[in-house]
Amino acid sequence: MIRYSLRRVVLLIITLWLLTLLLFSLNYWYPGNPLTNMSGITADNLIAYQQAELARGFDQGLLSQYLKFLQHLINGDWGISLVTEQPVFDEIKPLLGATLELGLLAMALALFLGIPLGVYAAIQQRGLLDRIIMGLSLSAYSIPVFWLAQLFILLFALKLNWSPISGQINPLYAIDVQTGSVLVDILMSDSPYKTAAFYNALHHLWVPVVVLAIMPLTMLIRIMRNSVLDVLQQNYIKAARARGLNDRHIMFRHTLPNALQPIVRQLGLQFSVLMTNIIITEVIFNWPGVGSWLVKSIYERDFPVIQAGLLVLASLILLVNVFVDVIHAWRYPQIRKEIDAE
Amino acid sequence: MSTILDIRNLTIELETSAGTVKVLDKVSLQLAEGEIHTLVGESGSGKSLLAKAIMGFINPRWKITADRLWWRHYDLLSLNPAQRRLVTGRDMAMIFQNPGSYLDPNTKIGDQIRETIPKADLKGIYLRRKASRTVRAERLLHRVGIKDHQKVMESYPYQLSEGVAQKVSIAMAIAHNPKLLIADEPTTAMEPNTRNQIYRLLAKLSAGQGMSILMVTQDLTSIVPESQRMSLVYCGQLMESGATEQILSTPMHPYTQAMLQMSFFDQGIAPKTRLPTLTGAIPTLQHMPIGCRLGPRCPNARRDCIHQPRLTKFKQREFACHFPIREVKSHD
Repeated sequence: MIRYSLRRVVLLIITLWLLTLLLFSLNYWYPGNPLTNMSGITADNLIAYQQAELARGFDQGLLSQYLKFLQHLINGDWGISLVTEQPVFDEIKPLLGATLELGLLAMALALFLGIPLGVYAAIQQRGLLDRIIMGLSLSAYSIPVFWLAQLFILLFALKLNWSPISGQINPLYAIDVQTGSVLVDILMSDSPYKTAAFYNALHHLWVPVVVLAIMPLTMLIRIMRNSVLDVLQQNYIKAARARGLNDRHIMFRHTLPNALQPIVRQLGLQFSVLMTNIIITEVIFNWPGVGSWLVKSIYERDFPVIQAGLLVLASLILLVNVFVDVIHAWRYPQIRKEIDAE
Repeated sequence: MSTILDIRNLTIELETSAGTVKVLDKVSLQLAEGEIHTLVGESGSGKSLLAKAIMGFINPRWKITADRLWWRHYDLLSLNPAQRRLVTGRDMAMIFQNPGSYLDPNTKIGDQIRETIPKADLKGIYLRRKASRTVRAERLLHRVGIKDHQKVMESYPYQLSEGVAQKVSIAMAIAHNPKLLIADEPTTAMEPNTRNQIYRLLAKLSAGQGMSILMVTQDLTSIVPESQRMSLVYCGQLMESGATEQILSTPMHPYTQAMLQMSFFDQGIAPKTRLPTLTGAIPTLQHMPIGCRLGPRCPNARRDCIHQPRLTKFKQREFACHFPIREVKSHD
């Protein structure tokens, strides 16, 4: 198990290293001056530019430029934005918080609803409720997220007036941005209107979370249903029944843990899909996260920001995938046999 | 010895695209307390189906009828599924071929054995109950001949060999002291050494605590010496049934004789001569012959064989044949 985890971590490091190679080369492929693309410092500011030339090894060869690039990356000196002229690294921290808040809540919602619904559909196989659940999940699965988001805004914000159109919180509450996750920020703040602010934030939050959760939710329902049906066919479940164990015990101790295995395996993949959807959703709901920031920087050709955004999103997906792999191997020991090819 | 399992004319019908097929056709079987009964049948003979029907692993699409399906004083066919599971769960247990697939792949063996120990056998409150569960699980493993209980209890099923997995299955099966153990080809695809261990273990358990065993096997060579009675089924029909020794020494039914010749043929047989076999092949479900299903393949078959023969009883054995190999001397 430890060996397996170590191997995954080594793989993670290698992948991250390849990612830095790509990011480094991008600076030379973008139009313009590589040094400006990398550091965000233009030749207009001659003194700073000459300092950057030395600091980033531009008086030497490509190899030392790459080594200096890595060094800056690790030290958290990711250059400054070409547009705002603020350090990219400081800008990205609260944005990441906002993105994670949205993503984690959506994932939690999808898991919270998807697993029971899938199990229920499987137990009621071919019954009316099964058909309804599966029909709805298939239709929801075929709706692209950008359209769904617009529909939700149209319905819940404009027609029913249940939620604001966009944004994170009403600016009147004047909550200081610390982590970027608005709920955490409210809890950490000493505003006299904490409770009201919290409700206001939830008001803003629920529509994008639901929009984001629908895609993984439909996937989870379908995987869970098939997986439960598959496990119920297995010999060990039949044997457990024959031994006279009661149904609840079999469901919670044998069926569900085994049926959850494909879910755990899928989580990493679902997270990658979620991240793509999060970029679109953040743009539509004007959510101050990494996704909308990245899209904006592409329009503005803000190369240091593009670089940082790519790095953060890609590392996040890689990290989650490795984490899920390790959890999977830890909880489902029989797959270690496949891994080690015993 | 008293009869604990009494089956008379059990018929299982299956709906197929080619109409209704009787996969079991009027099979009768009696099992006495503490007896080892071997049920022999080739693949497709319905022997596993019979075992499943006794255990109540019933597919709702099967139509089961019987003049009698009694387990001790319960009429199993009249019980509702919940009551039936209660009775079978308490009194019967079954072990299978591929024992590994009957163990939960993601739960440690120890936990799986512990959960089969009936609550009624445990005393004390939570922690003491938990400890006594572990002690009892260890004892069960010792009883099935696993000495290294620590290691086995900490393993997952994929880490065990099939032989050890079968022993674990047996341990779980005997956890609640069942009256009947059904062993459905428990040693198929096992090494001879392991196979003998398992058979010895089952015989010992039967003798030690008066547990009846219904041993389902494919061929006559794997009949254990301890087996008191045996039955042969072919294509869902009972061919012959009686004391094991008698059947093996003086078969009445042509099918039994053919099986004996196939299984224990003369070692001094001349080279390049045909081995003794029945002509033809086992018919498919859709093409079952009428009457005695052995008919087209039977060396003794005559015109009468298009009617299903009734069971002839004679000296505590039964056979279903119009033209048995030996004359039945005394009718009673």
